[in-house]
Amino acid sequence: MLEEAARVLTLQAGFNTAVVVAGTAALGMAGGTVGTFLLLRRRALVSDALSHATLPGIAAAFLLGVWLGLPGRSLPLLLAGAAVSGVLGVLTIQALVRFTRLTEDSAIGAVLATAFGLGVVLLSYIQSLQVGGQAGLGHFILGQTAAMAWREAVAMGVLALAAAGTTALLFKELRLVAFDPGFAHGQGWPVQRLDIALMALAALVTVIGLQTVGLILVVALLIIPPAAARFWTERLGAMTVIAAVVGALSGWLGATLSALFPKLPAGAVIVLVAGGFFLLSFLFAPARGLAAAALRAARLRLALAEQQALRRLLVGGDASPVMRRWLAVKGFHRNGALTDRGRAAARAAERNRRLWERFLIDHPALAPATPDWGIAPIDRVLPADLVRVLEERAR
Amino acid sequence: MQYLWRTPGARDDAGQTPMGPSPLVVRGLTVAYHRKPVLWDVTYVAPPRGLIAVVGPNGAGKSTLIKACLGLVPTVGGAIEVFGRPLRKQRRLVGYVPQRESVDWDFPVSALDVVAMGRYGMIGWFRPVSRSHKEAALHALERVGMADFAHRQIGQLSGGQQQRVFLARALAQEAQLYFMDEPFAGVDAATERAVLQVLRALDAAGRTVVCVHHDLQTVAEYFDHALLVNARVIADGPVGEVLTAENLRAAYGGRPLPFEVAGA
Amino acid sequence: MIGNMNRYSAILLAMLTLLWTAGPAAAQSKRLNVLATTGMVADLARAVAGERAEVSALMGEGVDPHLYKPTRSDIARLTRADVVLINGLHLEGKMDEAFQRVASSGKPVVRVAERVPKDRRITPPDLEGNDDPHVWMAPSLWVHALDAVRDALSSADPAGADAYARNAEAYRKDLTELDAYARRVLDSIPANARVLVTAHDAFTYLGRAYGIEVRGIQGVSTESEAGLKGIEELVALLVDRKVPAVFPETSVSDRNVQALVEGAAARGHTVALGGALFSDAMGAPGTYEGTYIGMIDHNVTLISRALGGDAPAGGFRGKLTLAQR
Repeated sequence: MLEEAARVLTLQAGFNTAVVVAGTAALGMAGGTVGTFLLLRRRALVSDALSHATLPGIAAAFLLGVWLGLPGRSLPLLLAGAAVSGVLGVLTIQALVRFTRLTEDSAIGAVLATAFGLGVVLLSYIQSLQVGGQAGLGHFILGQTAAMAWREAVAMGVLALAAAGTTALLFKELRLVAFDPGFAHGQGWPVQRLDIALMALAALVTVIGLQTVGLILVVALLIIPPAAARFWTERLGAMTVIAAVVGALSGWLGATLSALFPKLPAGAVIVLVAGGFFLLSFLFAPARGLAAAALRAARLRLALAEQQALRRLLVGGDASPVMRRWLAVKGFHRNGALTDRGRAAARAAERNRRLWERFLIDHPALAPATPDWGIAPIDRVLPADLVRVLEERAR
Repeated sequence: MQYLWRTPGARDDAGQTPMGPSPLVVRGLTVAYHRKPVLWDVTYVAPPRGLIAVVGPNGAGKSTLIKACLGLVPTVGGAIEVFGRPLRKQRRLVGYVPQRESVDWDFPVSALDVVAMGRYGMIGWFRPVSRSHKEAALHALERVGMADFAHRQIGQLSGGQQQRVFLARALAQEAQLYFMDEPFAGVDAATERAVLQVLRALDAAGRTVVCVHHDLQTVAEYFDHALLVNARVIADGPVGEVLTAENLRAAYGGRPLPFEVAGA
Repeated sequence: MIGNMNRYSAILLAMLTLLWTAGPAAAQSKRLNVLATTGMVADLARAVAGERAEVSALMGEGVDPHLYKPTRSDIARLTRADVVLINGLHLEGKMDEAFQRVASSGKPVVRVAERVPKDRRITPPDLEGNDDPHVWMAPSLWVHALDAVRDALSSADPAGADAYARNAEAYRKDLTELDAYARRVLDSIPANARVLVTAHDAFTYLGRAYGIEVRGIQGVSTESEAGLKGIEELVALLVDRKVPAVFPETSVSDRNVQALVEGAAARGHTVALGGALFSDAMGAPGTYEGTYIGMIDHNVTLISRALGGDAPAGGFRGKLTLAQR
């Protein structure tokens, strides 16, 4: 099994498998890259509406093909229909938000459900027509990964390159528009056009991913990798790269797993792998993960206890045996009393407490969003001039 | 009142600044949110230099006025000129410090990243932020006393520090006309001093600063000119002439005044 | 309102109402309303019923019966019909509830495929004890369905029992000749090419009847997604046995079959894409391929020619048009 897994992972287990594994990896990479900015621009749900809105377009394109007398299913026509109706869905959401009092999430929900429902109705209508070539239209909903054709994988590779290239070229512009669109507008940047460019990329990823993971799941490839990446870094550049890597790995591993085990539907497995990465990131990422946060909280409690003990010892009070031993390890306590170092540390702790207290009284609303703000050395968190002011006021 | 018009920054041989277009001219500006008029037929000519405070009661449209001057809200009517030409041609000359609440503090950017955004207009399309621009951004952070915090993620800064970062961003724009939306609101004492220092330095350098200011008690101390609005212009000119009891009553509409005005 | 009318108008209204309802009823009492699910079953009913019944099918050309979801109007048609004929054996996988509705209204739902004796049905291992429903693929089995249709029509319309029996016998002869033709052309396929690879496992009965190895990419039902492993194994089979052609189906997406062709090509073996077979649906209505005999004729002729056997281009009785799909 392991040997077979190794072969699949290195694209040596057969042409079809290699095509699927490489293609879905490329799709995942494109999704992660584009999805980063969608996520930060708070457009995650809009991309879900976009994917659901492709369904009526696919059905309509099929009907158009029948009406024009085209033979059977013409894939470019169907994908073009998907793209057009997906984009129309997004434009409808924007129009609803702009011209009515609807909030964005209600507009998204309305368009998503209505468009999808319309698509289902059209598919049912097509089913009742006495016309051939309609087989497989329903597969756009859940995807059919295993039969990926060579040219599909190539399209995904090109898409991944395009996504990476556009992101690199427009990095600072996309970052600006996602962070502060008002300021961007004020500087004269065409915020709306940049938004459209981003949505166009998202639409491209959606349409190209339709046949692979299906329209219901393609949003997962756009959203889960950047969500996972967020836990690892505070820098946007790193986050984009990590999201691309997570996306690519999800595609790679997911396709591999579905190749090794016969009854697993590839699209769902890919999404589950991505979800697994998210869970891992959520729990164990050092920057913002749960385990790291718990560790920091524990360290904080220790630091707090330490400071309280030092201050008590300074004024002649006492501390628990455990704490005394801990202080001894740090060189603050020996032979039943504070050392010189310990006294210095105790005085620093006392000053720190007084200054933080002053800050809390004077400016309750301004505390930074770091969990250790009351305990960390104040000189390292607040600017020097503010600390001077606090010192004066605390006297 | 006659104002001396001056071209921004230029001085002739005698040290006087020669005549030139006003930094900001607003003509007949009207703005409505969902058919409710927020600003009504506002006309204003800014003096050629100095620190200008925009004051008025809550909901008077002060923020909206600033945003309309920046082209951030749609207008129903009126025109805005910056240094004699329409706003959209002069964006390079205009800087903006917004209100603090409108930002996502969890966004993965550092203080330096945010300040560097002020330089994007100069960098232009597609090019990355070069070292020299990063240094200019760092220099702006120094001017607000935040150089040590350049690489902190912005959510980890205190409220006053965040305000200073946005101020530094505007400074990095190297603009001639600055709009600031309540830069003194809800900040600590040191930040307040830092902001004031920056404003005075901008004034000395011949720039114009238009600030929405909430605290009537400090207007006279910080600013030279004032514009009193309540959906329409009540009064404008030097601070002392604007903040009369009569004007304030007209603006605040019979509500109890926030403080005693001499001669009320 | 009736009280307001005068006597003449009331009588006129009553007469008109009688004529109005009696008209269609009179017409209906002449012909039976027979509704079938698949086109194959409908075709059987047409052959047996002749002029005595109005036969229609829910599923048309190119429709996949495994995935067909009935609409409200379909259910209305089912309840209005005099006789409801379905394939059964869970071919119409998504219509169980509809059939229950019909059965609970007192009208029998005739499962024609279940007339095939249990010992002649194939029970694939992965179907949890259910039988493979594609019994129409072998004319020698489909004759049992013919009997079921004849009996169902006779019990619904006893007056026509003789006519039905006569028509059924005539059709049975046709089916026997078709079976012999199929055996002839399929026997002529050389031994090493006797492998039939299609989009899904619809042809098992055909393979058993005529001695051909049959493999489908998807399983017995098209609901299941094709797996990569399955595709790779089939590609290996194609390359090892040098199979000349694989066959898409009209009612199933040809994406999977294309993948086989690409995979084999990557290993240096060119597999031709044989013409599309009619697996779960027949051809366009009104054409020869839109009948059961035409469908089987098309299938066996196409398979034979593509795999190197000897079959006339005109098929069974020269009525075939082998257009490329």
